[in-house]
This record gives sequence, C-alpha cells and structure tokens, in this order.
Amino acid sequence: MTTKKMRYGIGMRTQYPQGDDMVKRTEDQMAQARAADKLGFDSLMKSQHLAGYPLQEFQQVPFLARAMVEAPNLRLITGIVLLSLHKPLDLAEQLATIDVMSGGRLIFGAGLGYREVEFKAFGTTAKDRVPRFIENLEAIKRLWTEDEVTMKGSHFELDHVRVSLKPAQKPTPPIWVGANADGAIRRAAKLADAWFINPHQKMETIARQLDVYRRALDELGKPFPKELPLAREVFIAPSKKVAMDRCGPFLAEKYKIYHEWGQDTAMPEGDNDLSLALEELQEDRFLLGPADAIAESLIAYNKKLGINHVVLQFHWVGMPQDLVLEQMQMFAEEVMPKVAQGI
Amino acid sequence: MKKMQFGVMLRGVFPQGDDMRTRFAELMEQARAMERLGYDSLTKGSHFSTYPMQEMVQIPFLSRVMAECPSLRLNAGIVLLALHKPLEVAENFATMDLMSGGKMIFGCALGYRDVEFKGFGVERKGAGRRFEENLDAIKKLWAGGPVTMKGSHFELEEARISVPLVQKPHPPVWLGANADKAIERAARLGDCWYLNPHQRLDTFQRQMEIYKRALDACGKPFPKELPMRREVFCAPTHEEAVRIAGPFLKSMYEAYEEWGQDKVMPAGDNDISQRYEELARDRFIVGSPDEVAEEMLRYHRLLGVNHIIMSVQGTGLPQSQVLETFELMAKEVFPKVQQGM
Repeated sequence: MTTKKMRYGIGMRTQYPQGDDMVKRTEDQMAQARAADKLGFDSLMKSQHLAGYPLQEFQQVPFLARAMVEAPNLRLITGIVLLSLHKPLDLAEQLATIDVMSGGRLIFGAGLGYREVEFKAFGTTAKDRVPRFIENLEAIKRLWTEDEVTMKGSHFELDHVRVSLKPAQKPTPPIWVGANADGAIRRAAKLADAWFINPHQKMETIARQLDVYRRALDELGKPFPKELPLAREVFIAPSKKVAMDRCGPFLAEKYKIYHEWGQDTAMPEGDNDLSLALEELQEDRFLLGPADAIAESLIAYNKKLGINHVVLQFHWVGMPQDLVLEQMQMFAEEVMPKVAQGI
Repeated sequence: MKKMQFGVMLRGVFPQGDDMRTRFAELMEQARAMERLGYDSLTKGSHFSTYPMQEMVQIPFLSRVMAECPSLRLNAGIVLLALHKPLEVAENFATMDLMSGGKMIFGCALGYRDVEFKGFGVERKGAGRRFEENLDAIKKLWAGGPVTMKGSHFELEEARISVPLVQKPHPPVWLGANADKAIERAARLGDCWYLNPHQRLDTFQRQMEIYKRALDACGKPFPKELPMRREVFCAPTHEEAVRIAGPFLKSMYEAYEEWGQDKVMPAGDNDISQRYEELARDRFIVGSPDEVAEEMLRYHRLLGVNHIIMSVQGTGLPQSQVLETFELMAKEVFPKVQQGM
C-alpha cells in the first residue's frame, strides 16, 4: 500500500436502463476500468444486486474477475457483498481466487442487504440477516486464516474443511463493513478492519456516527483504522446549478430506484428519506459543483473526519459514456492535485 | 461447426506449497496457447475444500481467463448444481455469457462429496430434487421474464435476471452423469449428456443405449453435440507418453478414490484402484499422435462423440510439457482426427 494521504476509487454499479444493448455496454464498462487505471485512480469497486429489474446490471464476482485485466494497478473492492445471502465456504474460495488472480489486490467489502426479492431467492429472511452476517464473516475469516475449520452455523456446517486456496494477502484481504444504522456501525467496529461509509448519508450524520464508531473502537481497544473509506456521488461543473442541470436527471433516477428498493428503510432516523427532491437530497450528501469546492470538501473530510479513501460514483443510470469518461478525467486532473496540495 | 471440437480442461489443481500466483500465470499462458493453436473450448471444473490440493474457483476463473482466449467457448464443467441458489447461478452465467460474447457452456451435475454438501447446508439425500428444481428455475429465469416459483430452498417472486443472455434461448446445458439413473435425467433435462472422464468405453456403450432409449421416451432427437471428457496425453512415442503421464494419472485417481468418486459409478466399472495399465485401458487416451488420433476416432465411431475435452496437466505435469503437448496435439493429432471423420 502506498503512503498517499488520499486514495481514490471508481464505483462501478454498471447499471443501465432496460433496452440498452448490454454487449455494447460491456465494452463501455471495460473502457471505464481502463480509464481509471490510466488516470491514476487507486481502486475499482463493484456493487452487488440480484434481480435488479428495472435496471440491467452485471454480477459482482464475474465482473471484478474480468475487469482486473483492464485495470492491472487498481485494488478491487466488493462494495458490498450481500453477506447474509451466501455460504461462507463458497465466498471464501471465490474471493480468495480473485485475490490470488489479481496478485493480492482484493478488498472484501461486506454488508447486510435489504431487498426482499434477494432474501427470498436465497431462502433466507431479513430477520435472519444479522446473525447470518456475523456467522458468515466469522467462518470466512477462519477459513482464510486457519488450516482446518470445524464450525456449525445456522445454515451450513464446516466439517474439517480446508479451503482450496487461501488469499494472497496475509492474514486476510482488508475487510470493510458497510453500515447505515448506529448498531451496525458498532458491529463494523468489532468485526471489520474499517467501517465502509456509505454514499447515502449526509456528512453531518456521518460526523455524528464517526463518534459512535470511535467510541466503539475505544471500548474494544482497537486503534482507528489506517484506511477509512467513504463512497460518494460526484459531478464536476462550473457551478452547483450547472451540475444539477447536467446530472440531475440521471442521479434522481438512481435515487428513485434506491427508494423503491427500500434502501432508506435501513438508514437512521432523521436521515432516512431518499424520496426528497434532488435539490434537497444532494445537500451535504453528493459532491456536485466546481472542482475547487469538491477538493475543499474532500480536504475537510480528510482533516476533520480522517477519511483517506473515497470511492466515487461517476456513472448513473442513463448517463452517456462520453460524459462519464470526461468527468473521470476532470476529477483526476482538477480535483486530485488540489486535494494533494491541501492535505 | 467442425466435425470434431477439441477442448482442454484447465483443472488447475496444484499441491500444497505451490505458489498459486505463479501457477495462475502459467494457466493464463496455457489459455493463450490454446487460442493461438486453434482449440475450440476451455473447461474449468468445480470443487470446494480440495485439500490436500490447491485449486482456483470456477466462476472467477472463467471470467478472468476469457480475456486471454476470446475465440474459445468456456465450459463450466461442471457446476455442482444442488449446492447453489438458482437466481445466483442464472445471474452469474448471464453476466459471463454477455462478457464473453455468448461463449458459455453450462455443465452441471450432482456432486458427491459430503464436505461440499455440508458446507452449503444441503442434505445429500434431497440433492437430486434440488438439482432438478434448480435447473428448472434457472431455465425459467434465463427466458428473461418475471419468474414466480416456490422451491424447497428458495422462493422467486417476480424475479428477473439483471442482464439478458447472448445465446438464445440459453447456453447449452450439458449434464454430467455416472449412474444409469442420472443418464436418464440427462436425457430428460439436458441439451446433451456430458460423458465423464472416469468410465470405460464399454460402460459408455452400454449406457448409450440407456441414453438413447430415454431420449426416445421424451421424444428428443440425439444431440447435435456430444461432449466427452478424457484424460489425454500425447508424446512422440507410446513409451514416452506413458512414462511421463502415467505417474500423474495414477496419483490423481488415488485422490478421486479417497474422495469417494467410485461410490457413484456403476457396478462392474467402479474400481479405480487398479494398476495403471488396467486403469488406462479404454479410459485414458495416452500415446503417440497416431494412437491418440485413432483412439479419439474410436469414441466417435462407437458413441458419436464430437467434442473431446482433454485433461492434460493431471496433478503436476510441468508447464513446458503441457505446452509441448498442446502443440503436438494441435499439429499432429487434430488434423488426423478431422480427416478420419
């Protein structure tokens, strides 16, 4: 890992509207990965959703395994794995394979998930997601670090299991746990190498929750993480108004779908309405506007909150590829150097 | 379509202590060699908890290797279908079919190892039923519309896969089968029976009659593509081929026996603990280019096989030998087989 004070990731949701030619979009996605590598980004993140209708979207593990070829310098983030859905043996071996194939570049981001269609399809329930999350994470860590594991979970049994291969990174790839609610943040402090701060919440909420996180770490006797990651939406334009005009429709569509999927039901009281008009929604939540202002926000996040890895979403549903690539380039050329100077 | 297609199974199984990053780079080199030499397909199998061997996992491996061999078909041979949830399998293969430009082959079978069933929370007893309902759900999901279906271990409620398949109606479904009953299932549910690497030619001849009768019973024609996996090794002379490949094949079959592969094989052809010569007869294709070509043609003439998937590396054949064999086969064996058909 480099000693850069701030690292940058590109968040690839790979979401497109129905009717788009996904063969063509595959090439677009690979071009975004190549651009991120060339422009000096540090990581590439792919989210996980199944049955994503009305959106079209690629699956996480195959996508990361293919995209690593286009982006040989980037770390690869599962952002996040819907951990309660899966079997730990399956995930431990799939993720270890990605880590080995990429020469030790995996970051294992995990979270709970919230969509009924996913829970049902995996034969589980929203009610069971927390205990399953905890036991799955424990099993994966043990499979990665112990020679032989025997463990009886609520939905699996490891009977003298030795994984087919271990990750390249020792003892494990970094484990980031996504969390919205205060209780989930305390759990992240306990179980993860870092709290992976989500893109949905206001920075004001995050500042408050970072206190919750720090207190939890103190109680556990754990140090503040060396790497503290945050995901954000970003769009650069001469003014916030122009930014809103140009990216508003795409961003509004994305958050409308989040709201329909029920993302906000997992968010804390007082900051749990994603159905707001974009004007209000973006405030203190998205990085929209001039490069200078975005750089200042990032410098403040770094100095005040300790955030040193931001994963940026440049691409929302319906946004043309040229605009995405243009935004990535502007970010690399206009924002990154200013942040480097300012911290 | 070529009269005979040739593929390689990159088993990618290596002993403890091997640096898997080095081995991975070698496997990518093998894939590039196959692309350059005009092979038709690349296969990756699936096992979990493979100790004492190390192995990379199927879905990420196939997704990664496709970048090295854009002309090759990619066979998941096989997916242990009873272990998984159908939505996830349908989604992963749709993404892979898209990323590969429609090159995926969906091989699936039941599996037989307790450590895998337990690890996935699956009762071995009900595995056949899970296999069937999973395949049913996957095919429905692949059709593209919303699917509502209640299975024994999942529920689909207006679920649709997130991207469409390139291949219509879906990637070829190859069903692996050892036992007679499983062969009937392959006839009923698969686009073809995927002949396994373990059984002798005479067993296949007997089972082919079962397969044909089962196809007739469902009113299905004999498949256009009949794939078979075999252990294959070729060297300039018979003696050299046996000297090099024999020990690797023998030790691999000892590991299979330890895992219990033989317990799911039919009576009369379920002893895989024999001496190499006994084990090899009508089971491995090992020899000089002429012998290998003639043996492949025999499987074609007697069974109708027209896609041979070769495991070459065994468990430890050195990289240089693997690459030499790939080249020797492409230059000396494949043309002879095509001419002989």
